[in-house]
Amino acid sequence: MPERTDAERLERLLAIEERLVAAYEAGLRRDAIEPALGELLLEHEREHAAALRRALAGSERNPRATVPSPELTAALRSPSEFARFAARLERAAADAYVAASAAMRDERLRQPLGSILACEAAHGVALRQSLGEFLIVD
Amino acid sequence: MAPSLTRREALGGAAAAVALASCGGGDAPPPSSAEPGSGAALITSLLALQRATVSAYGACEEVLRGDSLAQVRDIREDEHRMARELEIIMTGERIEVPPGRSPGEYARTFPRLRGPEDALRFADHLEQRQVRAYLDALTDFPFEGQRETAAGIAWRQGVHLGIVRMLRGLPVAEGPFVTGAL
Repeated sequence: MPERTDAERLERLLAIEERLVAAYEAGLRRDAIEPALGELLLEHEREHAAALRRALAGSERNPRATVPSPELTAALRSPSEFARFAARLERAAADAYVAASAAMRDERLRQPLGSILACEAAHGVALRQSLGEFLIVD
Repeated sequence: MAPSLTRREALGGAAAAVALASCGGGDAPPPSSAEPGSGAALITSLLALQRATVSAYGACEEVLRGDSLAQVRDIREDEHRMARELEIIMTGERIEVPPGRSPGEYARTFPRLRGPEDALRFADHLEQRQVRAYLDALTDFPFEGQRETAAGIAWRQGVHLGIVRMLRGLPVAEGPFVTGAL
């Protein structure tokens, strides 16, 4: 169901960021991602989540429940599977930020959300590079 | 008669104009028929920026080789597609599509690129300015559909920026927020 308020949109983005944080934490714990890259991406996602929590401060919170993804467990078997899984998560996050940044009623929030969107785009590039894929723009 | 702009359009247009000033823009101003508050002036500025960028990447290609050249060609094709997409949107919204400038006119305003390092640094600046222009547009476009187009293009520009930084041997993202912060 589409979100109706800015707070609902921010909650959804926060749930996505928390999923990314959990994925990179697990990836690092299980050596499924190169440590320097994993630490960088994890740090960025934590910053994004913290920023979203700050933006939600003062709103009536309605946190979304998140459960560990069975896909993540499967992806932890190898670095290449993990990179593909993380790239899909980053792409899904980007799609959510495109929709949310355009729809926000509070115009002061649109540009910062776009700034996170551009960062998630770069994460996708880094993950594809780690797979040795030719970085065509798709 | 000078085009009538809302404050937001003027600010957004100014952001795009700043970018153009350093990468060979300076196309004709938006047509006077543009409705104030419609976003017409802003999309016209973004089109001018796209066209200048396509031309700028052509200059970069002249001094690049190998993998860098292949990647930059891909990026240039994507920039060209984005320009076409903006033109199609403008046509659909009955906004006059200006003719643009010749490649030679753009080229005269680009810095001299002595080699691959200069070209990739120039490309990095271009992409940063593009990301900033589309993020400004996210605030300045009056309609959600226009903002969604701007956000989608900002994402693609973020991919380009990441690729260019990677080609320069830099981390793909400088920090958690590409411009601004929550």
